[in-house]
Amino acid sequence: MLRVYISLLLLLSTTHIFSAEYVVIANKNMKDLSQMQIKAIFLKKLTIIDDTKMVPVSLGARDSLRENFEKNILKMNFQRLKSYWSKQHYLGHRPPLSMKSEESVKAFVKKVDGAIGYIEKSAIDNDIKILYEWKD
Amino acid sequence: MKRLLLIFFLLLNLQADEKYTLGEGLQVGSLPFYLGGYISADYKKTEHETSYRLDDIALLAYGSYEKFSYLAELEFKEFYTYIDTGEETNIEKNRHLYTERVYADYTHDENFMFRFGKYSSNVGFWNLLPINVLRETTSSPVSVSILFPKFTTGMDASYTSFSDGELKINTTLQHNEGIDDGYNNYVVDKHYGFGISYEKDAYVFKFNSGYFHTKNFTDHDLFYALASVKYETDSVQILTEIGSQKDKDKFTTKYAGYVQGLYRFNEHHIGVLRAESYEHTIINQDDNMMIIGYTYRPLYPVAIKTEYQFHEVDDNNQLIFSFSVLF
Repeated sequence: MLRVYISLLLLLSTTHIFSAEYVVIANKNMKDLSQMQIKAIFLKKLTIIDDTKMVPVSLGARDSLRENFEKNILKMNFQRLKSYWSKQHYLGHRPPLSMKSEESVKAFVKKVDGAIGYIEKSAIDNDIKILYEWKD
Repeated sequence: MKRLLLIFFLLLNLQADEKYTLGEGLQVGSLPFYLGGYISADYKKTEHETSYRLDDIALLAYGSYEKFSYLAELEFKEFYTYIDTGEETNIEKNRHLYTERVYADYTHDENFMFRFGKYSSNVGFWNLLPINVLRETTSSPVSVSILFPKFTTGMDASYTSFSDGELKINTTLQHNEGIDDGYNNYVVDKHYGFGISYEKDAYVFKFNSGYFHTKNFTDHDLFYALASVKYETDSVQILTEIGSQKDKDKFTTKYAGYVQGLYRFNEHHIGVLRAESYEHTIINQDDNMMIIGYTYRPLYPVAIKTEYQFHEVDDNNQLIFSFSVLF
């Protein structure tokens, strides 16, 4: 019985250790934002904050981190977002820019005022601001 | 038509390096200028006639720069219609190019936005996305075309706040003739409206009310109110809108409303069921109907749809097929 408990505890702690952590990041000059505001920026409903134009950046269409972000922050699946952006095209709005890698997202966010993206927490450094954190 | 196509293909040659995705338009050069459009064709069979239409051929142009953005939509409506009544056939062609929407937006800050020009009246949900390819039935609910003007030419001011949910308040002001009012459901020279909506999680609640002056039936001052609720998840959407319209003395539409449910079986197949009812006093007409429909989307911006409408008045039962593409 004790062996079963130990195995169970080990399994739970291993799961905890390997649960990935992610962050929404922005340029250092960005003010604090709520999850609702972050969602609104990525859906292009919120386009200007403090006179600065917001520039959300995504990863490639089928990137697993992007799917994770869309599920946890935007609360929409890929198909529903396709539908959303087709409707936005009719209303004159574009989807966020897509970047090839998390490194590109980080470099872009550092350089551009109003830029906002998402990467794994392990990749952050002191030149970017963390707006929001979530776990898998 | 030829001139429009020529301009379109000339602009296509200036296409930017950005990869083109169907349904999302394309950028012209590196300018703040995107081009897109849509087409729609349908087949309708009723007890009395069969018709084939090339209904919409539309071109969209839009872009944004700093706090400003703009959109223009030019459209051929009912470009070609063939009608067979069993006793005679008739072909109608409409070559008039309508200005469907043309407006500029100014986003003042994170809360306030102003719109000037001709735009889809910000009333309810359905009226904001009125084109065939973006909805799940070829037909639109009757309430959308009898309660309020579909288009407004004037100014719209909105306030939006994002806290626990999304709160939006807007006011509409028209005090002039409309731009290209040829096929607006109401020809109006005044429209003052107010709307409030709140979105949280999967729910959106919206209420609109307003006044407009129209010369359609008689010289008329009309007031309307519309309440709308939408519930949406990745697989299900339930949408309902119900409203009423009156003049100074009496109800001109006692009520008009619908409840529509749709289920996304997967990314390509969608089933729809809609119940509608209205009582229109001016034209002395009322009806209850049930619409059952199915949409196949091989890609999201391409829709192949069929629907059957069961009307309380049997003569109005109809079968509709359509094909539409957003590009």
